[in-house]
Amino acid sequence: MHEISIAGDLARIVLDAAAGNGLSEVTSVNVSFGSMIQIVPEIFKFAFGEAVKDTLAEGAEVNIEILPFKARCRQCGRESDPTGDSFNCVNCGSTDLEIVQGKELFIKSIEGE
Amino acid sequence: MEIRIMKNILDRNQNRADMVRSLMYLKKVLMVNIISSPGAGKTTLLERTCEKLCPKFSIGVIEGDITTDRDARRLERYNIPIVVINTEGGCHLDSHSISKVLDSFDLDSLDLLFIENVGNLICPSQFDLGETFKLAVVSTTEGDDKPAKYPMLFREAKAVLLNKVDLMPYTNFNLESFRSDLKRLNPNIPVFETSFTRGDGLEEWYNWLSDQVVSSVNSKASRGV
Repeated sequence: MHEISIAGDLARIVLDAAAGNGLSEVTSVNVSFGSMIQIVPEIFKFAFGEAVKDTLAEGAEVNIEILPFKARCRQCGRESDPTGDSFNCVNCGSTDLEIVQGKELFIKSIEGE
Repeated sequence: MEIRIMKNILDRNQNRADMVRSLMYLKKVLMVNIISSPGAGKTTLLERTCEKLCPKFSIGVIEGDITTDRDARRLERYNIPIVVINTEGGCHLDSHSISKVLDSFDLDSLDLLFIENVGNLICPSQFDLGETFKLAVVSTTEGDDKPAKYPMLFREAKAVLLNKVDLMPYTNFNLESFRSDLKRLNPNIPVFETSFTRGDGLEEWYNWLSDQVVSSVNSKASRGV
């Protein structure tokens, strides 16, 4: 249920940005989450909805982009996106991988009037 | 109108965690964030470790507990500073809650500060507390699939304690499968196969942890911090 506190932090950022830009209403919030963060979108949207109740972002749509896991092999240098629960380089099979994508928790933008 | 933000949602947590980490570095305190499922043996690990290492090092504990102080009461007899953080239902600790309780410790004299996180394998892995490293504790009764199911924790942890090895004959825990999943995620991670009731693996754990404390203090001293 880490969704609840992450949604709370997102609500704070959204409301600050809305106030700073003179918005009277936020209609959508666009975020990117890495697949390794294991966020359940439905729970996250519900939690965000609760966090912005009675604010100018109440009812805003949350658009979640899930970024798949990607890694760079420290042995052969190839970038790969191992699937399932395998963490081996698809080129040389090494397990010595550096994560280059999959741990993101980013807000990209908000939309409103 | 679209307003571009491009910001890490957990910036606030991360900034405070960075401050905590800098402070621990300056004060030469090794901070260990212990993460496991409920009932894997975190508190028993602290009991055994305090028994053995309290004479050698100055130890403190931050107990993350949802509603009670039961874990903290189990550690009272070691006469060490303990602070309980009740998360009131929250499933993890965050860096702000840690930062708020640090003034309860005499950081100048402390060598080792344990954080017993809330029992949970997903949420605590996402929140940097400013620790020196994360320690994952799993037990054989939970099954051998934990690394595969919770890759984030096992990739980021510096060591794993596989506890309750004495119960392995009574479970379908497959040690080879556990080891190979873990090796794929984190090839060089040390694994301590322990039984806190029977004593297996504990000497290796104490020695490894002592080395971590000593090298943390020495490396900083040599840099003149």
